[in-house]
This record gives sequence, C-alpha cells and structure tokens, in this order.
Amino acid sequence: MKRRGFWFLPLLLILVMGATAFAQEFKEFTVFTGEPLPDYPGSTIVGDIIEAETGVKLIREALVGDLETKVGLMIASGDYPDLVVAAHFTSLLKDAGALLPLNDLIEEHAPNLKRLYANHWEMLQQEDGNVYWLPIQAIPYGPDTSRYPSLAFFMNKRVLKEAGWPVIKTLDEYFGLIEDYMAKHPTIDGEPTIGYVTLFDGWRSFATTNVPQHLMGYPNEGEFVPVMQQGRYVVTEYHTSPTAKAYYQKLNEMYNKGVVDQETFIMNYDQYIEKLSSGRVLGTFNQFWQMQEGQNYLLRDNPDSIFVPLPIVIDPLVEERQRDIPYVQPTQGMGITVKCKDPVGAIKFLDYLIKEDTQRLLQWGIEGVHYEVDENGLYYRTPEQLELFRDPDWVQNVFGRQYFFNAFPSLRGVDENGNMFFPDTQPHLIYSDSTDSEKEVMDAYGVKSFSDLFNEPIFKKYFPLWTITMPAGSPAHIEETRMKDVLNRYVPELVMSSPDQFENIWQNYVKDIKPLMVEQMKVYQEEIDWRMENW
Amino acid sequence: MKTSASVSRRGGTFWHRVKQQKVLILMTIPFLVHVFIFRYVPIWGWLMAFQEYWPGKGILQQTWVGLENFKLLFDDPVFYQVLRNTLAMSIIKLAMGTISSIALALMLNEVRRMWFKKTVQTISYLPHFISWVVAANLVRDALSTDGGIINKVLMDLRIIKEPIMFLGIPGLFWWIIGISHVWKEVGWGAIIYLAAIASIDPTLYESAMIDGAGRLKQMWYITLPSIRPTISVLLIMNMGWVLSAGFEQQYLLQNGRVIDYARVFTIYELDYGIKMMRYSFATAVGIFRSVVSLILVFSANQLAKRWGQERLV
Repeated sequence: MKRRGFWFLPLLLILVMGATAFAQEFKEFTVFTGEPLPDYPGSTIVGDIIEAETGVKLIREALVGDLETKVGLMIASGDYPDLVVAAHFTSLLKDAGALLPLNDLIEEHAPNLKRLYANHWEMLQQEDGNVYWLPIQAIPYGPDTSRYPSLAFFMNKRVLKEAGWPVIKTLDEYFGLIEDYMAKHPTIDGEPTIGYVTLFDGWRSFATTNVPQHLMGYPNEGEFVPVMQQGRYVVTEYHTSPTAKAYYQKLNEMYNKGVVDQETFIMNYDQYIEKLSSGRVLGTFNQFWQMQEGQNYLLRDNPDSIFVPLPIVIDPLVEERQRDIPYVQPTQGMGITVKCKDPVGAIKFLDYLIKEDTQRLLQWGIEGVHYEVDENGLYYRTPEQLELFRDPDWVQNVFGRQYFFNAFPSLRGVDENGNMFFPDTQPHLIYSDSTDSEKEVMDAYGVKSFSDLFNEPIFKKYFPLWTITMPAGSPAHIEETRMKDVLNRYVPELVMSSPDQFENIWQNYVKDIKPLMVEQMKVYQEEIDWRMENW
Repeated sequence: MKTSASVSRRGGTFWHRVKQQKVLILMTIPFLVHVFIFRYVPIWGWLMAFQEYWPGKGILQQTWVGLENFKLLFDDPVFYQVLRNTLAMSIIKLAMGTISSIALALMLNEVRRMWFKKTVQTISYLPHFISWVVAANLVRDALSTDGGIINKVLMDLRIIKEPIMFLGIPGLFWWIIGISHVWKEVGWGAIIYLAAIASIDPTLYESAMIDGAGRLKQMWYITLPSIRPTISVLLIMNMGWVLSAGFEQQYLLQNGRVIDYARVFTIYELDYGIKMMRYSFATAVGIFRSVVSLILVFSANQLAKRWGQERLV
C-alpha cells in the first residue's frame, strides 16, 4: 500500500502541473460593473470571440440595489475586484487609494488605449498628474448624432396621430393634447388610459426633479445650471425658480384632474417600465436611456403606441437647447484596482477591447453575417439582420453586446473610415433603418431623425455640471443629501395636494430648500471655473 | 441525575466538575469563539466613532475628533424623526407579531384534524422563507391602485368608491409595515409557542375539564399561564431589537411620499453614513443604538423580575 503511494506521487505532480497549465490558458479577471445586468449567459456570439482571442475570462459582478451603498461597502471592506466601474462614484475609489495609476501601464502595454484616448488625456489627469480610470466612451474621430435625443417630454404616437401631427412647444399645449385624447379615449385596449407618469423611484427621481432646467431650455446639467453672465458661467439654482413653480403647479392641476397617474410617486422603476410597455401611457418625461427599455418593447410589440420625443419648454419665448453634444465623462470610468494581481494582463485586455476592430465586432457584428458593406465602404444591414438587432433579448443574450459594452471602455462617433461606431447613428441609416412606425412620425414632421425635432446643441467646454462630485462627507456633500431629501419629501406633496394648498406648500418648500444649496453652489462654481481655465 | 448527585457527595471541587463536564465544555468552545470573534472583536471598530475615519489608513493613524460625531448626531433634526419611526415601528411589529403568533398557536392547538393543522401551519410560515426583496414587490402589487387585489376587493364589496393609495399615505406606513410583518412572520413565530404548548402536562386539562372548564376557559386558565414564561423571555430578548426595526422591509416599501415616516436607523446610517463615506458617523449611530438597546434589555429584565416573571439574566 505504502509503496504504491510513492509510485503515484510523480504522476500526481504531473497531473496537477498539467491542470494548472491548462487553467492558465484562461486568465481570469473579476469585474464589477456599476449597473444591473443579468448573469452572463455563458456563451454569446461576441463573448466567445473575445474569449478565444484574448484568453481572458471575466468573472462578473453586476450591481444589485444601490451603487452608492455598494461602493461605500467596497471601500469600507477594502475588498475590490480586479476591474471596477463605479459610475460617478469612481473618484471615491481613487480617494480611498483603491485604483492603480494607469499612465505607465498604458504607455508600455496599451498602444490602442493611448492612441484612442489621446484627445481626452488632459481631462483624465487628476491633480497628481496620473490617470486612474478610462471613461466608458472615447470619441477619437468626432461625434455623432442619435435617432433619439438624450432627453425629452415623450408623447404617445396615438395622441399626435389623432390630433393631425401638431407642432407643440409649451407644457400647456402638451398637457392640453393629452387631456383631449384622454377625454375621448378613457380606455386603451380595455384598460384605463394613463395620461402622464413621472418616475420618482429612489436615485432615479431626477427624472422628475430635473425637469425645470429643461423647461428653461437647458440640456441635462444636473442639480444646478451654469448661466452665462458677462462672459462667465455662473452656477444658478433652478429648484425654486418660477419655472419650477409653474411646472409643479401644472402637474398638480393634472394630478387633480386624474391625468397624472395616481401612483406615479410610489411606483418603482420596474412598474414604470411595465406601464410604459403596456402602451396605455400617453406622456412621460425622461432621459431616453431610462425609458428606452419600454420604448424597445413598444417598437416590437405595440408599434402604434411608441413614444415620440418632443422639445417642450415652459414659455414660447424660451430658446430650446435641450440636446447635448456627445461628451466624454472624464470623472468616471473603468479602473484597475490595487487588488489586481496581473495589471499588465488587465490593461492588455482593455487595449484589445478598445481597438476599432473589437468595437466594430461589438456594435456591428461579423461582416457578412450581421452587416454588409456597400460600394462606398459604408456599412448597412439587410432587413433580416436589422430584425435581429431590433430584438433586445437577442442582442443581450445571444449576441452579447451588453456584457462588453456599457461598462467597458468603448468608442463612439465616427470611425477611422467614415462609418459610425454605433449602427444606430450611421447617418444614412438613421432614417432608413427606423421602423415603419418611426418613419411615419418622421415623415409627418418632415425630419430624418427624432433629434432633428430639436435645435442644434451649443458647445460648452465645461459640460456637463453633473459630472462634478461633492467631496465625500464634506458639508457640501451632506447638504446635497439633505437637499435631495427635501425634494423627495416635497415634490410628491406639491403634486398630490389639493390645488388650494399648493401655494402654502410651495412657500414651505422654498423656505426649506433654499438654505441647502449654498455650499454645493460654491463647490460647483469653483470646479466650473477650473474646467473653463484648464480643459 | 445520579451522576451529579454522586459528584457533589465526592467533594465536588471546581476542577473536578470541569473534568466531569469536559465534554459539555468542549461543545461550547466553538460558540464562545464565534461570539468572541464576531461580537467582541468588532467592538474595537468603535474607535472609529471618535475619529474622522478615512479608508486606506490604519485605524490608529486616523485623525481623532473626540465626541464630534455624536454632537453632529444629536444636533440633527432628522435623528429625532428616525428615533420616533424606529420606536414606533418596532413596538407595532413587536406587539402585533407577538399577539398574532400566540393567537395562531392557540387556535392551531385546538384543531383536531392533523392534516388541517399541518396545512395551515405550513402555509402560514411559508412567507418567512421569501426574501423581502420579493415580498416587498408582492406587497406593492397587492396595494397598488392600478389593479391591486386589495383595492379591487374593497371596491367590489362597495366599501370604497375610489382606489386608495395605501403606500402613499404617511400615516398608514407604520401599519403597513406591521401588517406585512405579521403576514410574513406569523407562522414562524407560532412554532415556538406551539412547542411550549405541547409540553404542558395533559392532566391539567383533564382536571380542568372535570371541574367544568370549557375550551375557552382551558385556554385562558391553563394554556396561556403555562406559556407565560416563554412569552416573557421572548419579549425581553426582543427588547434588544427595538432600535433595529428592520431594514429591507422599510427600504423596499418606502417612497418619497412617506419618507418622513419610513426612515429607520438602519436606513439613516446608510443614507447619511456609509453612502457618504462617513463611516465614523455611521459608527456613532451604531454605538448609540447598542447602548440604548442594552439599557432597554436590562430594564425589561428588571421589570419582569419585579412582576415575578421568568427572566433572562
């Protein structure tokens, strides 16, 4: 027995060595992505190619619950994944010493990252001159425009069609149309019509509270807007502006008339998307990405009820500039943490992901299978290929784009040979690749893209304000939390109270929220001034 | 019985007893180690409450700020609101939870048909195993004004004309928490009382019956007094949890409309502590909770002693 054991030992050793050698063929990196995403299906079209070409397997952790909490706990425990994306809490990770400086790594091992992020390099350098994270989108060759603007008051196509495609501009006109349609059609497909919903779930509540700035004509700046005064951008608050008051008063009126959905302030995000997808919602305000899921389901299942984005302002005299030029978010991105045992391997993986060919694979797919090239070298998709990519489930679970895209460094805008990285923004295809339902609306308004319903955006160097974060735990940070508390408490009350109480509640709201802006505005102003000078 | 008697006769020195019970002692060691590691070692972290803690530095290299964090806490008007909500919801949950569990246990005890008793018991404790993440969505759906079952039933019975937005009424939030707690935990809570009831000597019932006591009287004069020690020990133990009225339940059912009534200590620590990287502040809140809980447990224990009830220590 004993002898036999000795005899086995060398064999065992060889076996173990063989096994580790085999395991080493796949490098493994743990990655945390700051957004909810179902588990990786195990095998996807792009995922398999990436795995085969890089020999890297990712062990993913997606966000469950609240990102701020997750990042806070991560820092408190010091337990980091190899790669991390923490949206606008990225700087907190850097402050906690969790991120590796990437300068030397990129210089030595990542020629593609160096080349493609060159335009943004200065913005990315922190006070110590190091770069700690790579923004999730780089724009190396110039920006693009999308089929949909990034935010809008959306209106159900049924309403516009029945009213004969009116051009509407103000909030009053917008709600007027909804009211008329509701009066004529109290039910849609046998269920009660919902006039207007506004999203107010947790951190997503900005879909409701950000609106006044857009009614004033601004794109999404965040909680404050920098207003140009005598050659300088002065940070200005809008939460207590006359526009805000008019907006909440309008919602209040509409709520009491039964136009605004009764449970709009207590539903969660899932319920919101469910309502939108049902096709019986006539209007909602949101940033496009927050309602896109609903729109995708409508495009597939209920094309008569898709949402049309409209440029709505408070007063016809307001100049509408709600669209934004695609920008790089220099304050957030993917970083490599100090816990990563193989930073060189990690940066090489990212370098592989960012290069044009990989990006094309992720966005367009495989030539001849998922897209074609015409005689001018422009990419397009056949109707069958298009049909595939219109199915969100297929794109996510079979094609696998989401698993390498939203959180990872990627490219947008024009590519090196005149195509767009995003098929959706390919200029000669925006119109022709639209669904019949979308085309009908575009034809009616004489545009080739929904973005064309809006004015051209203005370039602002600092843009946007919201990428500035308050120093963790500082008085300004505490103030920010308290201000959001006040908004969370008062906004539902302002909208849901009886109209004769509105004035009273508004007074209290202004009294409570005013003192909670001072410190924040100081921080924002300083940073805006700095950006105007240094970027 | 016999061995312990013989031990004391043979002198019963301390070491002798240790030797006699060494198996028992060995058995408790893992638990003592567990308690020490997970309950006592972390107390070291309380130091954070007196510092301006920043991750990445060792705990002794931090800046010391004395009682600054506690001052911030007691100066915060939100703190008093949180205290009120936590106490209110805890007491509601404790009272409703205890009474309903005892009631269910008493009723189940009277059921003659075994299959019916088992079925009811299983069904009633099933929700205990559902995570609050799922349960909260069930509660939300049931209370929805857009086709929620509760509103539908009330409207079909013509009790109300318009659907009521239950989750949007601040004054109702505490009760929704209480009732949903009962729905989720009633069966689970009843198990321990059922066990206590099962150990009551049947001869007591027999003699009560001979004296002419009906079922209700038997419940009142025999079952209830017999499980009184269990009730009082459980109540004392639960006093320690009064300042932690739960977390997921409130967190997942709250919304902007009712935030003033929904925020409990755990949510407060999260929103104003961990989320803002104010670990020291969060720790200070934690210390406050622990100290008050300790006082509450001891006072409840003291009260029980005075009333001649079973107690914990």
